[in-house]
Amino acid sequence: MEKTISGNPITSGVEIGYAFLFQSKENQIFKESISRNKVKSEEVRFLNGVKESQSQLKKISKNLEKKLGKESALIIETQYLLLKDKELLNSIIAIIRNESVKSEWAIKQIEKKYIELFSNIPDLAFQEKRNDISDILNRIINNLKSNKIKLNTDNDNIILIADDIPPSIAATLITKRKILGLILEKGCETSHSVILAKTLEIPTIIGTQNIVNLVENGKTIIIDSIKGDVILSPKKKTIEIYLKKKKDYQIYKTEKKKVLLLPDKTKDLINFQLSANIEFPFESETVNSYGAKGIGLFRTEFLFTESDIAISEEKQYLLYKNIAQKVYPDKLTIRTFDVGRDKTNDFIKQEKEQNPALGTMAVRLFLKEPKLLITQIRAILRANEIGNIKLLFPMITEFEEIIELKKIISIEKNKLKSEGLISDKILEIGIMIEIPATIKLIRHLKDEVDFFSLGSNDLIQYLLAVDRNNSAISYLYKPFNPSVIDALKEILEEVTKIGKEITVCGEIAGNGPTALLLLGMGFTSFSMNPLSIVEIKRLFTTINISYLKNVIKKLYKLTLKQEIKNTFINSILKKYPELF
Amino acid sequence: MVEIQTEIINKLGLHARAAAKLSHLANSFNAEVSIVYNEVRVNAKSLLGILTLAASVGNSITVITEGSDEQEAAATVKNLIDRKFDEEK
Repeated sequence: MEKTISGNPITSGVEIGYAFLFQSKENQIFKESISRNKVKSEEVRFLNGVKESQSQLKKISKNLEKKLGKESALIIETQYLLLKDKELLNSIIAIIRNESVKSEWAIKQIEKKYIELFSNIPDLAFQEKRNDISDILNRIINNLKSNKIKLNTDNDNIILIADDIPPSIAATLITKRKILGLILEKGCETSHSVILAKTLEIPTIIGTQNIVNLVENGKTIIIDSIKGDVILSPKKKTIEIYLKKKKDYQIYKTEKKKVLLLPDKTKDLINFQLSANIEFPFESETVNSYGAKGIGLFRTEFLFTESDIAISEEKQYLLYKNIAQKVYPDKLTIRTFDVGRDKTNDFIKQEKEQNPALGTMAVRLFLKEPKLLITQIRAILRANEIGNIKLLFPMITEFEEIIELKKIISIEKNKLKSEGLISDKILEIGIMIEIPATIKLIRHLKDEVDFFSLGSNDLIQYLLAVDRNNSAISYLYKPFNPSVIDALKEILEEVTKIGKEITVCGEIAGNGPTALLLLGMGFTSFSMNPLSIVEIKRLFTTINISYLKNVIKKLYKLTLKQEIKNTFINSILKKYPELF
Repeated sequence: MVEIQTEIINKLGLHARAAAKLSHLANSFNAEVSIVYNEVRVNAKSLLGILTLAASVGNSITVITEGSDEQEAAATVKNLIDRKFDEEK
């Protein structure tokens, strides 16, 4: 029966292939003593195993370098160097000598020691090294055996499925055969196998539940890492649908490559910047491949779904730091918790309110109960080690809130300084413009705020007093409403007057016609769903801003929203008939 | 004995590549070369040892050298760290 399993997509793609289940069989190793006079020959046996492992790794590294270049071969090169580490080898020999035991047992003792050591490191990139240690040490053990495990490397067009996969095995499989997709039940974003798959643009999904037990070797399966789905025993009809999806994606990919290579300039050479909105940390892995210049909006509400992260400064610190490193030298804008409107949760005890959209939410909530906000601010201040993080506050209504928030920041900054936990990098502070009253506040904020972010979804809702999810009145929710356009114009003028920058990050930034409208009005920084970036970039790189400006001038005289929209789109089509 | 304090300033910290460069360099001296971070001291000639420190950007470490060419060893190691391991322009 057809079955879909979901996980976190890492590298996008759609592929149909044969399931290849990789299971590492680990033999139990028992303590085997040897007589004193055999110790010398046991050492020789061990060193021979090491030598053989070294030459294997050298070969894998060379093959990988040929296929993917020096950069990717580094993973295995490091393993090779670790295998030459005298301290490591001597510590194993010392156990063989002092305890008169067989090499396998000595190796396992050292493996245990290092796995424990690395597991205690909170930084994932370093923690990952325990897999390398395990990988090389088990390679030696395998080489010490009389009957070695050999990888069956015959079949092509396979989708590799595993609990997790040691890096050197992944490297061997990837260089020797055609792997269409990679599905790892455990694997993490920083694991070498995942990094290799990313480099090769092999569709990859991690964190799939229980797939190892459900999948059958050799059976046809589908990987859709655009969505994050694995389909087991697909029906004929399903296969057809996915063949089409695969073809569409390939066309999109070729188009995308062409567009993404262009500089971020309009036809008349005005610079623009497109960054990504993300909701979950794993998305930061792929934003680059979608053409994003940094992350313009990292929503942090997901932290509340995982109880321990929202309250742990250390965990948040590592998480933010990791993402900031990934997007460097581009920027990462982190928006503080924007909760309290739609979902209630266990952390924040809230009275039921008559009108939650006009109630105690976001900054309002946390200025009353600042504990969680303080944790978040401390984590962000600490994470800004390279200086590319920006801090963004949602739902600002009045000047007093900004003063209070800045007071919290300054207090925590001083505390962190005395705790020695902070570098002297400057953290830019910005606010969202999403409450209409904030527009009139901009002129007073020259010395208080470093940047602005336009949350158009909420701004339009509050400006027009329309719930866009209410189908009875959603016809009123239209960005081409002249009052909305006028407000947008005023926002840009006010922000420019005090010499600051603004990024548009609502849906209108990632939608063709509205994005063009904003560009023509003078907005140049946009943050959107990463999937929309290619299309917006295609539009922006095709068009002359000067032409858009002339079209927009005409719009200010019109009053009907539909007329405004039609005039805008038709005028563009007149000059660029093939644009949409 | 020479003891120098310095800060890790390359973006990725003492990760695999940087650690490999560091241990390679340390091995070219007669002197013993150690790195101390977070009250842990490791042999800088051991790649594995350096990796176990998990020192990242912004962390302050101490380089200790002892032997005939200790002056040169300390200066050269510090220089590599300050050059961000030649990773960034």
